[in-house]
Amino acid sequence: MTDVLRMLIAPLAWLAAFSAVYGLQAILCAAPPEGTLAGISMSRVLLGLAFAAALALQGVLLAVLLSRRFGSRGGFVRTVSITGGIVGLVATLWTFFPVLALPLCR
Amino acid sequence: MSALARHRRLQAIWSSPPGWKGLFSTVNHTDVGLMFLVTAFFYFLVAGVLAMLIRAQLATPHSAFAGPEIYNQIFTMHGTIMMFLFAIPAIEGMAIYLLPKMLGTRDLAYPRLGAYGYWCYFFGGAMLLVSLLLGIAPDGGWFMYPPLTGKVYSPGINTDFWLLGITFVEISAISAAVEFTVSILRYRAPGMSLAKMPIFAWYMLVTSLMILTGFPPLILGSILLELERTFGLPFFQAELGGDSLLWQHLFWLFGHPEVYIIFLPAAGLVSTILPVMSSTTLLGYRYVVAAAVALAILSFGLWVHHMFTTGIPHMGLAFFSAASTLVAVPTAVQVFAWIGTLWKGRPQLRLPMLHILGFFATFVIGGLTGVMVAVVPFDWQVHDTAFVTAHLHYVLFGGFVFPLLAALYYWLPLATGRARFFRLGELAFALIFVGFHVTFLAMHFAGLMGQRRRISTYSPEDGWTAINLVSSVGGFILAFGLVMVMIEVVLHFFVRHRAPRNPWRAGTLEWASAMPPPAYNFASLPQVDDREPLRSDPDLPARLARGEGYLAAPNGMIRESLAVDVASGAPEHHVVYPGNTHLPIVLAAVTGLFFLALLLKVLWVAPLAMVGVAVLAWHWVWQLGRREDVGEVTVGRGLSLPTIAEVDRPPGWWGSVFLLVADATLFGSLLFGYAFLWTIAPGWPPPAWIEPSTIVVAIAGVGIALSLLGPSLAVVVNKRGRNPIAALALSLAGSIAIAAALLVLLATAPAATGHAYGATLLVMGGYGILHAIVVALIAAFLLARVRAGYVSPRRRAEIAILPVWGAYLAGIAVVILLAAYLPVALS
Repeated sequence: MTDVLRMLIAPLAWLAAFSAVYGLQAILCAAPPEGTLAGISMSRVLLGLAFAAALALQGVLLAVLLSRRFGSRGGFVRTVSITGGIVGLVATLWTFFPVLALPLCR
Repeated sequence: MSALARHRRLQAIWSSPPGWKGLFSTVNHTDVGLMFLVTAFFYFLVAGVLAMLIRAQLATPHSAFAGPEIYNQIFTMHGTIMMFLFAIPAIEGMAIYLLPKMLGTRDLAYPRLGAYGYWCYFFGGAMLLVSLLLGIAPDGGWFMYPPLTGKVYSPGINTDFWLLGITFVEISAISAAVEFTVSILRYRAPGMSLAKMPIFAWYMLVTSLMILTGFPPLILGSILLELERTFGLPFFQAELGGDSLLWQHLFWLFGHPEVYIIFLPAAGLVSTILPVMSSTTLLGYRYVVAAAVALAILSFGLWVHHMFTTGIPHMGLAFFSAASTLVAVPTAVQVFAWIGTLWKGRPQLRLPMLHILGFFATFVIGGLTGVMVAVVPFDWQVHDTAFVTAHLHYVLFGGFVFPLLAALYYWLPLATGRARFFRLGELAFALIFVGFHVTFLAMHFAGLMGQRRRISTYSPEDGWTAINLVSSVGGFILAFGLVMVMIEVVLHFFVRHRAPRNPWRAGTLEWASAMPPPAYNFASLPQVDDREPLRSDPDLPARLARGEGYLAAPNGMIRESLAVDVASGAPEHHVVYPGNTHLPIVLAAVTGLFFLALLLKVLWVAPLAMVGVAVLAWHWVWQLGRREDVGEVTVGRGLSLPTIAEVDRPPGWWGSVFLLVADATLFGSLLFGYAFLWTIAPGWPPPAWIEPSTIVVAIAGVGIALSLLGPSLAVVVNKRGRNPIAALALSLAGSIAIAAALLVLLATAPAATGHAYGATLLVMGGYGILHAIVVALIAAFLLARVRAGYVSPRRRAEIAILPVWGAYLAGIAVVILLAAYLPVALS
């Protein structure tokens, strides 16, 4: 099961982060926090932090999957799991990018 | 033992009783798979007739062919039958039939569960069919949006047929998904590592995991809507704290992955057949697997793209628009792998290949229009128009029906042992391909010209007359083509034109069995060293028949197979299967009684039916196991393995884990609904909150501790050779304590009919109590088994299941308490 987990973990982490960021955006629109940070609304700051955390998580996962210690040694599982790691990273970049640019609650 | 003598012995052990009697008691995967396929194609015929009625109605303006009431039922049932009674069951049938043969084993992990799933599908489908014949069929569209489907606007029984019938049918999908997942991971030929699995098995593994996580939101939505309709719990009524958009979220959380649940197995069929038709191997096997995994997971981030016009903020739309465009990448990886396979091989234009080329042309167009509707401004223009109808047919017919027809022609010689005699298939393909594109290409333009979907008629002034007539003519050409396919398949059974063995020169193991395959599949189980064993070892079928594989010597009247290590495929356990029984059909009938009682509002029968289900389930599990230790069993080729009752991780443990994945998804969807209503629904905060109670927390705390401690203690105590009865009693007490705490919690909650808040608490509490009852039953069952002598330090498999369920119960109890009390405490 460890090998199956290696193959699924990065895209699954993207899915969890995707749900969390979408949920966070809904909560921030329902109950917007007050104040700003360097002229940026707290809501956008929080979403930006969530984006950064998701990216960092994907980066760590990819590094883990590439490592000799935790990554698979078998050729097939290694290829599929590293490809999954790249998918997770690209998906995080591509799908969360709107938090930097678009209006939050309109 | 000679090959013939072995065949006779194994046939006596594995086959079902002859004639009609065997149909009701068989649990053999070959029988059950064929039963699924025949029933699914029957529903394909029914839904096809409904499609023709739709096209007859729309062929001319102001058509008097059917009034709006009947028309609503026709298009609703067309979509419902195609999605729930044809597409998914056809996949199940194909996989149930093929997987054990491809994996080089004798049956799936849970033969009785497969049969139970079929009978749930049969009875659930019959419920919907009866509603259609009586003219009281569902009429709210296949996605059943409230408030249209609420009690106010749909007071009749029509919607209830859909909600209850589909939920009943979904039992078969969930049970099949559990069965496929465990079978693919654990029930393979020795030596078949993950890297050597047939590509279809990979696709089915991914699809099964998707079913386990994709179907529960729909099941939850159906339960909530039925609770609203029957008991007045206002989940979708805005004036009482509900929100009709919650249904859309729950439905599309299921609905979009559903598209890929249908497409991925079809892609698996293409990835299997295409290399054979090109006399080569699949290009980029590893990347195709990675693409299938990526596609499956990304598809869960697309559901809101069906809701772009519901007023969701731009940023939310952008998340889902981005994910929707992204999903094209792994799809394209697969398409390029198929094109590359064609390029490196020597493609032959045989009949399955024609359908695969039809798939390419059609699915790619459907994929491209999919990218178009993923772009928000374009979607706003075409939402709910015939353009979307055309797009989904390109994706589903192109992405599913063409590959299914390719598979039908590809594996027909295997299933019947006969070759085609009449060459109707080529003409049928031409009619299907031309008819399909005439019908649905035209429909794109009708949509772009403003024709809304689901309208029963239109005026000549709308300017859609010619285009609809063309579309209808195309629809009838398509129907002729499909009828010709069915005629050819029927004729196939009357013409004794023997097919040569492995007629396509394929490399996968299903062609290593006799044609048609015997009930036991393989006289002895192969040792696999290659992804395409027949390519590297053409003599393998003969050697297996001679008994040169595992389990070549039949053991009494026992149905035997092997379980392997997940990653390496090394043989780990000796498996004993149950024999033929009427239990699956009886259990499905009693399950059906529960749904029928709810449908006909004879509510007092429903709990009785539940008791009946529990009694039969007890009997079901009691039949397994032994009262004496067996030790290691000789399985051939110099190998001895422990039997399945004497291991730490038995099939029941694996099945429980994956069933609980589906269960947890349902619970997660409920929590999502709670959070959604809390943050988005207009009628919040509720007029009254629940009062947090320290007594409830204390009782639940004790229950949670016992539910965690008791099962683990039982496992340890039993392993050390001491009597586990006290530890099991602790588990039982733990689940009773949790049930009691949740009952008190519900007693102090606000009225469930007054606001969606109280209704949600009721469902959460009810969910917890139901699970406490299940865990209590498992603990009570184990107590009885220990007393009856079925459990020993060596025979520890049964007791290993309890910790999984105990931990799950403890986990959900904690979450329910937090969900009920934490928001009140914080506010």
